[in-house]
Amino acid sequence: MVHSRAAGNHAARPFPTARPIGCPFDPPAAFTQAREECPITPLRYPDGHIGHLVTGLGAARAVLADPRFSSLPAGKRSPVKVPGSELSTDALPAGMFVNMDPPEHTRYRRLLSKHFTIRRVRELRPRIQEMTDRLLDAMADQGGPADLVKAFAKPLPTLVTSELLGLPEADRAEFGRHVDVLFSLSTSGEEMRRSMATLGGMLHALIAAARKNPGTDILGRLTVETDLSDEELLGITIVLLIAGLETTTNMLALGTYALLRHPGQLAALRADWSLMDDAVEELLRYLSVVQIGPIRVAAEDFDFEGRSVRKGQVVTVSLPAANRDPLGFEDPDTFDIRRGTTRHVAFGNGPHQCMGHHLARLELAIGYESLLRRFPRLELAAAAEGIATREMMVTYGVRELPVRW
Amino acid sequence: MRIEVDEDLCCGAGSCVLAAPTVFDQNDDDGTVLLLDPAPGAELGAAVREAAARCPTAAIRVV
Repeated sequence: MVHSRAAGNHAARPFPTARPIGCPFDPPAAFTQAREECPITPLRYPDGHIGHLVTGLGAARAVLADPRFSSLPAGKRSPVKVPGSELSTDALPAGMFVNMDPPEHTRYRRLLSKHFTIRRVRELRPRIQEMTDRLLDAMADQGGPADLVKAFAKPLPTLVTSELLGLPEADRAEFGRHVDVLFSLSTSGEEMRRSMATLGGMLHALIAAARKNPGTDILGRLTVETDLSDEELLGITIVLLIAGLETTTNMLALGTYALLRHPGQLAALRADWSLMDDAVEELLRYLSVVQIGPIRVAAEDFDFEGRSVRKGQVVTVSLPAANRDPLGFEDPDTFDIRRGTTRHVAFGNGPHQCMGHHLARLELAIGYESLLRRFPRLELAAAAEGIATREMMVTYGVRELPVRW
Repeated sequence: MRIEVDEDLCCGAGSCVLAAPTVFDQNDDDGTVLLLDPAPGAELGAAVREAAARCPTAAIRVV
């Protein structure tokens, strides 16, 4: 194989998005080729900028934990043209701590982490189970076939996140619609700006109400226990909404699809529910639904894993690629619920690692198990080739998942 | 085996608590690490090394 390490900028590839035909769970094959050359390779961004692509597990962990790779918005670019990628980051509200570096980032993280500790999340179990059972009751009453995304995968994280944050029931549908717009493929920059503004208005009203009459939810407690401004609370709420809804929804639906497409693994799980926690870890690794980013910008010139990184260069980490690295996982392209590894980077790494990872794991474990137990004969209600996936979105998944039971 | 934790680096992920619940806990005020047992017995070696490896900010050192 020709080693392209010395080949310079002309070897830069565009960010691959096309998944192999007939393999909806595998990352684009170009990631494997890139990783075989080097775990960090030149990447061409849509505006011609040449930065780096990280496809190896070790390099991904290292980049995300290294403060020389900054999360500040200045100079950040998306490796693909996704809806909203042309929006200016100047307009972002304060408090969007995903776009910060320590120590500013640390301040927000400290104020929020208490709401996502293991202890706190475990207390939520009965309530999440109740919400799950109610959705499954409604599915059973309605009868199949049903779209699992609409009937279950989307409403469950919406209910959980809304209640945690303190979004009133009457507003949830409208919140959901605007979050959809923010994530939709067909959204224009203008539509996105409008939805952002409407969402901002609704959230400001909610924050004002929480200040007047604080509840026991996260928003209520933040108004009482911290000195965060309205603008900061707005940014925090948007981050938590986006992080809590989209990822879990897609993991629930795509994970169910993956289990239905691997009947041997599904049968093993049905025969022994104690495999559920390992199955959740393997689904997180194997599916790695965050398919674009995390993205960082080099804050200085330095050598990194044998590559020269220049200040201002944009680095995109591919979590799906890193989670299929043969140096990190034996037989990485095989879906094996008994693998028992937690060393994947589905939630990222470093100070920005997903704060809601315990909550996500709990929602997934309760969600999959309750769904599969309620419907022992759950199956696809459409040909597998007909199930459309979400290629050009930040979060991968299925658009619909027709099932019957 | 002795354990050192860097509270300033800790981001409150709580993965160490999952790996070694008798050695680590999370502070209820900000989610950061609480070291319950700075010198655990050798039988906890594997669990503690797993906790250190899973820490997203490498805030745990086993010395």
